[in-house]
This record gives sequence, C-alpha cells and structure tokens, in this order.
Amino acid sequence: MVAWGLREVVLRDGVKMVIFAGKGGLGKTTSSAALAYAAAMEGKKVLCFSTDPQASLSDIFERDIFGKGEVEVAPNLFVVEIDADAKINAYIQEVKRKIKEKYMMEQIPPEIEAYIDSSVAEPAMYESATYDAMADYVAKGEYDLYVFDMPPFGHGIRMLTMADVLTSWVEKLTEVREKAREYDEIARRLKSERLVKEDEILNELYEIRRKLTTFTDLMRDRSKSAFFMVMTPEAMSVYDTEKALEAFRSIGIKPAGVVLNKVLPKEMADNPSPYIRNRYRQQQEVLKMIFEKFGDLVVAAIPMFPREPKGLEGIREVAKHLVDGVTRIW
Amino acid sequence: MTSELLLPSIKFFSCVPSLACVGKEKTGGLLSKLKGAIGEVMYGAALHGQVSAVLKTRMYIEHMFILMILGDMLGFPILPPYYSLRLLPYAVPNVQAWKHRFYRERDFTDVIYG
Repeated sequence: MVAWGLREVVLRDGVKMVIFAGKGGLGKTTSSAALAYAAAMEGKKVLCFSTDPQASLSDIFERDIFGKGEVEVAPNLFVVEIDADAKINAYIQEVKRKIKEKYMMEQIPPEIEAYIDSSVAEPAMYESATYDAMADYVAKGEYDLYVFDMPPFGHGIRMLTMADVLTSWVEKLTEVREKAREYDEIARRLKSERLVKEDEILNELYEIRRKLTTFTDLMRDRSKSAFFMVMTPEAMSVYDTEKALEAFRSIGIKPAGVVLNKVLPKEMADNPSPYIRNRYRQQQEVLKMIFEKFGDLVVAAIPMFPREPKGLEGIREVAKHLVDGVTRIW
Repeated sequence: MTSELLLPSIKFFSCVPSLACVGKEKTGGLLSKLKGAIGEVMYGAALHGQVSAVLKTRMYIEHMFILMILGDMLGFPILPPYYSLRLLPYAVPNVQAWKHRFYRERDFTDVIYG
C-alpha cells in the first residue's frame, strides 16, 4: 500500500517538479496551492505556477496576481499566474524591436510585419507562450520545487505533447543550421580565410534546446517529478480520468497518483436531509468503482468543505488532507 | 555533394593561397606581387568553381532553413503539425516524389530569389 497523503511522494529530497492535471473545476488549482503551501512550510522555496487562463490562483489566494510575475504570498511560497496574451504581445514587440535594431530600420517591411502580426492568431501560440514560461522558470532553477497547475485535460495533454513537437522541430532546425555551418567552414578553408563569424541563429537554437530539454528531462524523470490527476467521486470523472491517464501514459508520463476531491465526509451518511444522504450513498458507490479501477493509485482524499477553501487559512486546511492524509476512505 | 567528399581536396589545396601570402613583408615588392598574382590565378583555376558550388549549396540550405521557420509565409503550415500528421498517411507514397521535386535544380525558390 502506498503511503496515504502526498507528503511521502512529494516532500522527499530530489523531487523538483509536481504537476496537477485533470478536468476543469475539480480542484487542480486548490491542490497545487495546498501542496505548494505545505512544501513552503517545510522550508522549501516553492513556485506555484498556474497555466489556467481563468486566474484561479488569484481567486484562491484572494489577491490579484494575474500577470504580475512571481508574487510571494507566504514565506518561501511564490505564485505565478501567467497572462499569456500579454506575454505574446510583449514577445512580438520584442521581435519587432530586434529587427529594427539589427538592420537599423525605421519601418519593418510590410510583408514581414504582417507575418509577425498574423502569427498571434496561431492556435498554438497561447500554449507555446505558457509552455515557454514554464520551461523558463525551470531552466533558471531558482526554486527548490515547482508546482504546475495544468490547464484542463485536453489542453494539458496538448501542452505536454507540445514539448515533443517543439523539441523535435528545434532539433531539425539545429541540424540544418549545423549543415549550413559546415559549408561555411568548407568555403572558408577553400578560400583560406580566417574564422567564420559565429552563427547567432545556431546559438539561439542551442539556447532554446537547452531550455526545452531541461524541462522535458525533468518532467520525464520519475525520481525528480511527480504527476497527479485530480478527480471527484462521480462516474463521469472516473471515465475521464481513465482516458486521461491513458493519454498521459502514451506520451511517456506515468502518474504518481490520483487525488480525490470533494468527497462527502462520513457523518453525511446520517444527515437528516435525504438529498445529502442520497448524494453520499451515490458517492460511496462510485468510490467502490474508483477503488477497483485505480486502487493503490489513489493517494489522497480531500473532503467537500462547508465553504470553498480560500485564503491561506483555507489552503492550510486543504493541505492537511492532501499532504498529511487526514481523510481516509479505505 | 557532402563535406566528406570535399575534405581531401581541401586539405590539398588550402595550403596554396596561404603560401602566396608568405611574401607579405614589404621587402621584395615585385616578387611578392608576382607571388600574390600567381596565388590568385591558381585559386581562380583550381578552387573558384568549388567555392561557388559550396556557396550555392550553402544558399540552398539557407533557403531550406528559412522555409522551416517561415513556411507559413508561403502557405506551408509549420507548427502545430496536427493536421499535417493526420493527412500524412495519405501522402506517404508521394513523399519521395515531392522531395525530389523540391530539391530539383530549378525549384520554387528560383522563382522567389531569381
């Protein structure tokens, strides 16, 4: 039997990255925040990063952190909620600036400018920007632990496959660029000129590759990263989680566990309201199903709270269940 | 033409023009000029063709590279490759022929770059 609660899995030394995935509204952000909080309390320097465009970390911490960069909400606990649109815009302005500066132009050729502007509408642009920000933080390595709150299921998978797509694309580009450099070198030797000037593009490519591989290597290393699915005791959630686990496995990511959220506490079995008693009974049936399907993979349960857990107080409460495993189901 | 094929000839020739540069010191004015001229003639006779060929190949690689990053500009969808992957199974038998056409001496880059 795996230890109940995430303390064992996550807070041991060597774990650098924790990812929470799952459908929208099931408690990914809450779990991420609670885990990050618990790790920070242990003295680790933690970065909790939300990829969700819905600003849910702001909501949980009751502070406006959207697009504000790293904000320290508690000692050692830093949270980031990326404003991908703003990041894309800033990125594009930077590209334009570089072109103008490099070629000392007043105006970027209209064809180029139109191309740059139209790339904003590229469907993968948003994910790319978010992904790049994640990889950036990890590559900088300023934190002991990175907690990533993934976007809802479909986007989450796409974001992670993006890693492979981007990496192989960059690989190919590097290959072509290196080939070009080989020819530069041959031409140089034939003409017996001195050194060929450094290829800036190649350097950029190496830099991008380094950043991406640091991130993907860490993500795939099971001793350094832990991947959790968050679900609720509802039949629909069981099917979705099953599918998601399969999809994640197919891209080489093995789950470290499944976290159950919004579990009705035991005392609800005798609740005077038949409405709640029924819900409780139904949950118990689904829990049986969950146990059969996922068994040992279920590592923690967070109860349904009388009110939404918010602020540091609420997060601390969630952490008790998520990390210390106060609530037991079987 | 690969670099491996070119390398032996480079080793052989690369010493020639540099020999011509030995007389850089201002001592023998006419003699060094003569040496320089001979060096240039030898370069022209033996290597210019090769250098041009190498630079031409280099240009093609450059165009290829640009295509890989700015393909969208010409209507080549580059990233994300979601839909191209979906169509790939149908295209597989034609890929070879397509590549051949793409790498031809006169391809569409000639139209663009003159």
